[in-house]
Amino acid sequence: MSDINAVDLRGFISGAMTEVFDTMLSMDIEPADGGEQADVDGERIVGSVGFAGKAVGSVNIQVNEAFARSITAAMLGMEEDEIEGDEEVHDAIGELSNMVGGDLKSRLCDGGLDCELSIPSIITGSDFRTEIKGWERHERLIFRHQEQFALVDVYMKTNG
Amino acid sequence: MALKILAVDDSKTIRMIVKKAFKAYDCKVLEAADGKEGLETASREKPDLIVLDITMPVMSGPEMLTELKKDPALKEIPVIMLTAESGKENVVQILKMGVKDYIVKPFKGAQLIERVTKVVTLESKQKEDEDTSKKYFSTVEDVQILALPQKLDRPVSVDIERHFKSKVEEMVSSGIKKFILDMSKVGGTNVTLIKLIIMVIQTCRQASIGIRIVGTAALSEELKGFAETSEITVDLSIEDAKGAL
Repeated sequence: MSDINAVDLRGFISGAMTEVFDTMLSMDIEPADGGEQADVDGERIVGSVGFAGKAVGSVNIQVNEAFARSITAAMLGMEEDEIEGDEEVHDAIGELSNMVGGDLKSRLCDGGLDCELSIPSIITGSDFRTEIKGWERHERLIFRHQEQFALVDVYMKTNG
Repeated sequence: MALKILAVDDSKTIRMIVKKAFKAYDCKVLEAADGKEGLETASREKPDLIVLDITMPVMSGPEMLTELKKDPALKEIPVIMLTAESGKENVVQILKMGVKDYIVKPFKGAQLIERVTKVVTLESKQKEDEDTSKKYFSTVEDVQILALPQKLDRPVSVDIERHFKSKVEEMVSSGIKKFILDMSKVGGTNVTLIKLIIMVIQTCRQASIGIRIVGTAALSEELKGFAETSEITVDLSIEDAKGAL
């Protein structure tokens, strides 16, 4: 699997998202065929983790504020009105991206693409877009939980 | 004496999940946000067990573990590693570090407890459990009363719900058929309170137990603002409620 084009990115991300949502949030999610960026509208929160080594890239999970609050409440086992503030929401979304990114990193390492994982970072806002430049691979996956969507972008290239 | 568990993780979310997992046990959970803070806390508090994350800013988990093992006063403290990475190489590296066990995220609180019980003995909070039950529940003549506290948050609600279900079983077996939910001390409504009220009413009805609700006039007005509780009749005193049962 040391060729990054042979990596089953979509399969790995789908598996990791499903497992994290099920185990940590007790939420069912499913791939949303035909979902678009417009499905994650309004104030958005993006949790990102980077990986660097033989393969370089990042995993970005994007949700809107309402879904981010639902995820946070589910992860902490509380009601949404008990969330103390943005810090808790950002931390939960960061942890979500850390778990999904950590799973992908492990699979890359097992396949010979050794790399290290960064700590998570958070971007918030309603008016921004990501430009794709210089990556050998980009995969976008959209997941649905009831009427809420999570958009996952994975960027990857070989180092050197 | 309560066990001291030190949770070292840069994510407050994970520290809260760890803390919650130990809630039913006689443990004091200490928290640290990175390895440096973790070492300081370990030196000061001498915990019985450390639950340690790997990737953290300032000082990582492996760095903290190395320092821990160098210190004769701390090196015997058992450590369970938490990692988001399940790769073979990562697991081998973790085990080489001299940790007792490791848990791959995502994890459930029950999985953490299962691993921890292999390393230390956890005692349930039975006495505290009995005290909690006495704090909220009382029996006056043939009426079981549940008096809610002023502030009802999710952990308190979960605790009350657990006790309530066993109280209903006791009521059914002892033939008590009258229940009063006393909310006269409750300071205000929230979603947790509404869910608890609905659960109590439905459980009583299913068990054929008569139920009345006691609260202030202000609370009665607030409950009318929620679709789920808009039709509920609130008695203004325990005596009124008893009379109506």
